Amino acid sequence: MREAEEEQYPELDLRLTAENVEELYEYAPCGYCSCLPDGTLVKLNQTLLGWLHYTRTELVAHRTFQELLSIGGRLHYETYCAPLLLLQGEVREISYQLRRRDGSRLSVLLNAQLLRDPLGNPLLVRITLFDITERQKYEQELLRAKSQAEEQGRQLARANEQLIAKNEQLTRINQDLDNFVYTASHDLKQPINNMAGIFEELMRTASFTDPEAPGMVSMFNDALRQMLSTIEDLTVVVQLQREQEHTTVELIELQPFTEELIRSLPARTDARFTLDFAAVPRLHFPRPGLQSILYNLLSNGLKYAHPDRPPHLWVSTALVDGAPVLSVRDNGRGIDLQRHGQELFQLFRRFHSDVPGSGVGLYLVQRLVHQAGGRIEVESQVGEGTTFRLYL
Amino acid sequence: MDVLKRNNVTVTGAGTQAMLFVHGFGCDQHMWRLVAPAFEDRYRVVLLDLVGAGQSDLTAYDPDRYNSLSAHADDILEVLAALDLPDVVLVGHSVSAMIGVLAAARAPDRIARLVLVAPSPRYLNDTDYNGGFEQADIEELLQAMDSNYLGWSASITPVIMGHLDQPELAAELNNSFCRTDPTIARHFARVTFLSDNRADLARVRTPALILQCAHDALAPLAVGTYLRQHLADSELVVLDTSGHCPHLSAPQATIAAMNTFLSPVPQEHA
Repeated sequence: MREAEEEQYPELDLRLTAENVEELYEYAPCGYCSCLPDGTLVKLNQTLLGWLHYTRTELVAHRTFQELLSIGGRLHYETYCAPLLLLQGEVREISYQLRRRDGSRLSVLLNAQLLRDPLGNPLLVRITLFDITERQKYEQELLRAKSQAEEQGRQLARANEQLIAKNEQLTRINQDLDNFVYTASHDLKQPINNMAGIFEELMRTASFTDPEAPGMVSMFNDALRQMLSTIEDLTVVVQLQREQEHTTVELIELQPFTEELIRSLPARTDARFTLDFAAVPRLHFPRPGLQSILYNLLSNGLKYAHPDRPPHLWVSTALVDGAPVLSVRDNGRGIDLQRHGQELFQLFRRFHSDVPGSGVGLYLVQRLVHQAGGRIEVESQVGEGTTFRLYL
Repeated sequence: MDVLKRNNVTVTGAGTQAMLFVHGFGCDQHMWRLVAPAFEDRYRVVLLDLVGAGQSDLTAYDPDRYNSLSAHADDILEVLAALDLPDVVLVGHSVSAMIGVLAAARAPDRIARLVLVAPSPRYLNDTDYNGGFEQADIEELLQAMDSNYLGWSASITPVIMGHLDQPELAAELNNSFCRTDPTIARHFARVTFLSDNRADLARVRTPALILQCAHDALAPLAVGTYLRQHLADSELVVLDTSGHCPHLSAPQATIAAMNTFLSPVPQEHA
């Protein structure tokens, strides 16, 4: 045999064949043991005995392999490892803690093989054990980190659930508010119309002697009209909001769209309009929404024209960072943004008491733009004019 | 819900009476492969995986529902109802022996006989009761499970779940049998080893065979005797084998003991 080997590897250094198999088994850099199918230890190597501080005679034929495990480990072995061995003939990379003679623990990784006799009956289990003390510490760290991450994940999920619930609640409240505004404006309309009718009737039939009466009557009439128009505006806000929710986005050709809109504005013969849609000729937007936005901005531009010069309005588009921007500029009175900037878009907020208006227009514009996922910027110079930029 | 799919139920064998095998903690229906085929000539053999084990529907594992063994007993009765099987011989290993006891107490008409393999009504020691374990031992088991789940990764889950029938895939997997989701296994371990079903034993009148191993770390001999005393119509057979799985370590002796219990006619050699 030896001769044959030497012939096979003629160039081999003879010292390389001097490895003693017995010694290799006893002092291998891993633990070896063999046991009967019931676990009774029949053979252990010196490395393993050294790890455990046992002598061979204390263990062989007297103890089972399972008894070397921690109790929890033994439960795992009996319920998982042992059946698995019988089912598939081997198990690999199972992590256990061995109990040394003094009760201290040694972390090991176990590979095992089941040998059967010619009839197929279990004969012997061969077990190889690797000391994984250092690796085990690292794995414990990993496990700790994992369970921490899982806990954080659970907390996140809980926070997310709360957010979703809050969001649903807010949506519901918003809906309720809209409904409330709609119902209130609807319910107020009828009695105010009645008041107007009764007052008209009263004016026809009654006579007032007080010299101040005509002035007061006129003030009463103005107040009535103001009330009616506010209610009208509220209805418009809610209706537009509802329409916007149900209308679809379409591609709008801006030049004809704006020209038609200008024709529908309150006539003012001295007004000039300059349109320039060269940069972005078409926009994706719900048609009624864009109509309302442009109508409000343009009519504002006319309403708040500078008393010293005829109104001039510029409507144009541009591309900023690849996104369309629609601008409406006027040469009107301008707004003091330092003073009013914060409340510019608030409902019923008005800044020029000498011009009739309800304070609904800009609120509506902003709401429609926001609803479409856009935003508005305002730039203004008192006495020079105002520019609204819509990032859509 | 398809309960047969949920519990990965397989039915084989010929015969009018059914024999249902229920695996214990740590494994799945593969555990029965040395015993179940021996009954296929006389019984309709039904195998299943408890929800959370083997190839059962893991999404059906709601920890709140499966917080006690009775949910598993309900599952078993649902499976038997779906298959329309009366008078079943229920063979339950380990924790499933107790699941079988619960099922028999709830539906005596469905379960004609119980074969309890390595059973224990309670694993923890108690006053005047030696279950074999302390709470700390169970915590240690959970630790052992945790440190053995490092090898578990989501990437192999579909292979384990779906393709055990394809040997070339299964062969690539370490310890491919008896694997399942670590979180579920951990929870089931708690439910299993912390349960106490001693009070349920008195509710069972079903004839029962207690099959105990002579050397079983999980169920000491005293536990077998306790069961024999508290199950009204029961007999105890101690098998000369060690470990917790006689159906794997001593399949022939297990089959023989079951046959003796199930055959009303005296055996020829007796």
